[in-house]
Parts: sequence; C-alpha cells; structure tokens
Amino acid sequence: MASKVSPKGKEKAGKGSKASEERSAAKCDKEWSTWAMKKAKVITHYGFIPLIIIIGMNSEPKPQLYQLLSPV
Amino acid sequence: MGSSVSHAAAPPPTAVGLAVALPPKQDEKAEPKNVDWLNLPCPVPFEEIQREASMSLKPELFEGLKFDFTKGLNQRFSLSHSIFMGSMELPSQSSDTFKVPTAHYEFGANFLDPKLMLVGRVLTDGRLNARVKCDLTDNLTLKINAQLTNEPHFSQGMFNFDYKGTDYRTQFQIGNNAFYGANYIQSISPHLSLGTEIFWLGHQRKSGIGFAARYNTDKIVATGQVASTGTVALSYVQKVSEKVSLASDFMYNHLTQDVTSSFGYDYILRQCRLRGKLDSNGVVAAFLEERLNMGVNFILSAEVDHRKKDYKFGFGMTVGE
Repeated sequence: MASKVSPKGKEKAGKGSKASEERSAAKCDKEWSTWAMKKAKVITHYGFIPLIIIIGMNSEPKPQLYQLLSPV
Repeated sequence: MGSSVSHAAAPPPTAVGLAVALPPKQDEKAEPKNVDWLNLPCPVPFEEIQREASMSLKPELFEGLKFDFTKGLNQRFSLSHSIFMGSMELPSQSSDTFKVPTAHYEFGANFLDPKLMLVGRVLTDGRLNARVKCDLTDNLTLKINAQLTNEPHFSQGMFNFDYKGTDYRTQFQIGNNAFYGANYIQSISPHLSLGTEIFWLGHQRKSGIGFAARYNTDKIVATGQVASTGTVALSYVQKVSEKVSLASDFMYNHLTQDVTSSFGYDYILRQCRLRGKLDSNGVVAAFLEERLNMGVNFILSAEVDHRKKDYKFGFGMTVGE
C-alpha cells in the first residue's frame, strides 16, 4: 500500500513540477521568440536593400560598380 | 521622290467585288460557343476582383511635386530615386483643413526575375517598404509585404501563400497583430466566378466573412462584394471602345451608414492616359499621364473637394521605365 501510495505521490509531484516546467518553458519560448522577432526586424530593416543590391549586382549580365552611383 | 514614298508605305489591300457591298461577318454573334465545363479559365485573384474599376476610379492622386527616376543597370535589376515635395493634412477639430509642407527622398532597389521579385524602398525618415514575391513551385506563390518603421509597434507585415488551380485560386494570409485570413475563388462559367473570404484578428478577437462575385465578358466587368463587416461594394465597368472605358462604383457601409457612389472615365490614348471621376461626396478628380518621349512621362493630378472646400493639385515627371 505504502509502496503504491508513494509512486502516486511521486507521480503527482512529478506532474506538478512538469506543469510548472512546461509553463516556464512556454514563457521561455515566448521570450525567445519575441527576442528573435525583434532581431529579425532589425536585420530586415537594415539588410533588405543591401540584399537586393547584392543579388542584383551578381545577376547576369553583371553590371559595373560605377553604374550604381552614376546617373547615366 | 515619288518612288521612295511608294516603297515606304505599301498601300493596304483593297476589298474587291461583292465584299465591298456586304457588311463584314459578325463571328461572335453567329457562332454559339460550346462551353467546355471541365476546362474553365482560371479566375483573377480574389484581391483583384475589382481591378478594372479600381484602376479607372482610383488613380494615385497626389499634391505637390513628384519626381521619379528609375535607372536600369540590368534587365532585371534597377535602382530608383524619388523626390516628393507636398503637404500633409493634419486632423483638425474644426471644418478647416490644416496642411503642413513635407518633403522626402526615397531610394529604391528592384530585382525582377520571372521566379523571384524583390522590391525595396527606403525613405529619409527611416521607413522601409519591402515586397517579396517568390514562385515556390509552378502553382504555389509566396508573397511578403512589410512596412518597417523606426518607431516601435508601428511596423506591419503580411505573408501570403497563393495556390493556383486549374479553375480556382486560393490564398492564405498571416499578418502581424495575429491576423489570419483565407480566401477562395472559383470559376463557375466562362464569364462568372464566385469567391469567399474569411479573416480573424487575434488581438481584437474580431472575425469576418465575405462573399464576392465577378461577371466579365470582353466588354463589361461587373462585380459585387458583401462582407460581414457590413460593407456592400458593387462596381461596373464598360469598355466603350479600344481607347475609352467608363466605370462606376457603389459602396455602402451598414454600420456607419456611409454611402458613396462614383462615376469615372478612362481614356487610354497613344500618347497619354486620362482618368477622371466624379463622386457623390462632392469630389471631382482628374489624373493625366502624358508620354513626352521614350521613358519620360509627365503627370498632372487634380482633386477638388467641394464639400470640404479643399483643393489638391500636383505635377510631376517620371523618367525611366
């Protein structure tokens, strides 16, 4: 009996700690995903136009570097 | 002299004999078309269901000076510089309109490939407009649309997944502020297509559903849209000739009891495109794009709001393709 009770008690304690673990894991995930979204937004904000320029300068036929700046 | 002229312009073949007397055969009316119900054409995308009416009735009116210069480095890659000097309206309590002069310079880069399109525009105040369109497979397209600002919580982004079937199209949208939307449009007959859309706004717990129908032939396009947000929008465009089309539009919002109706014309001539419209709110507008030379366009925009006694006149030039 006692041996049956203690595993149940342990299960409950296990479940309780698992639930709190899950909650803190979810909170961690949310914090990390918010941090990741903020970093992604900053990277996109600064890097999108340079990305287009790099892709464009490497496409065929390759334009020259001076053509980027001259108005002709 | 005379011989060179006759070589330059070959005379058109003249009709001979009985063909001159009889009227030309009217093929469209005489032949009854057999409808192939298994091979209906693909409908237009759901957001472009009122495309003809929007193009004719809602030109990009502006106030002030606008100068656009597009420089192509490559067949696919181009840079654009744009200057705008105009005024911005400030909201005011009284009936007067307050305008504040604003000016900005916008730098843009475009990469246009059949499979991948990247368009980016950045303004002097740090705002970025980004558009990406990528063909993942033959039928599946990913579109991303984003406006990023330096101020926090003002940025917007939207992801669209489009799937094109044989006679239907479907789209799934994910946006910021937990916006989810989906729409579906199906061709019912060679001329008629019906569509539906639903959306869900997470943060405000709002959802809505809408239905749309589009009937188009060579000469007319008629559309109707009803949404659970209480809006009814109808439009009708008639192509009077190759160069002229007339459009009319009716919008009714049940919740705000707002009714707007507008009529407009669209002249597409060889050297210019002239669009004008008249509104039930007392707004008269016109927009002219004149092609001065290859790649040089001159733009005039005018809008007079008789009810608010507000005038907006703009002029500009677009250089480059």
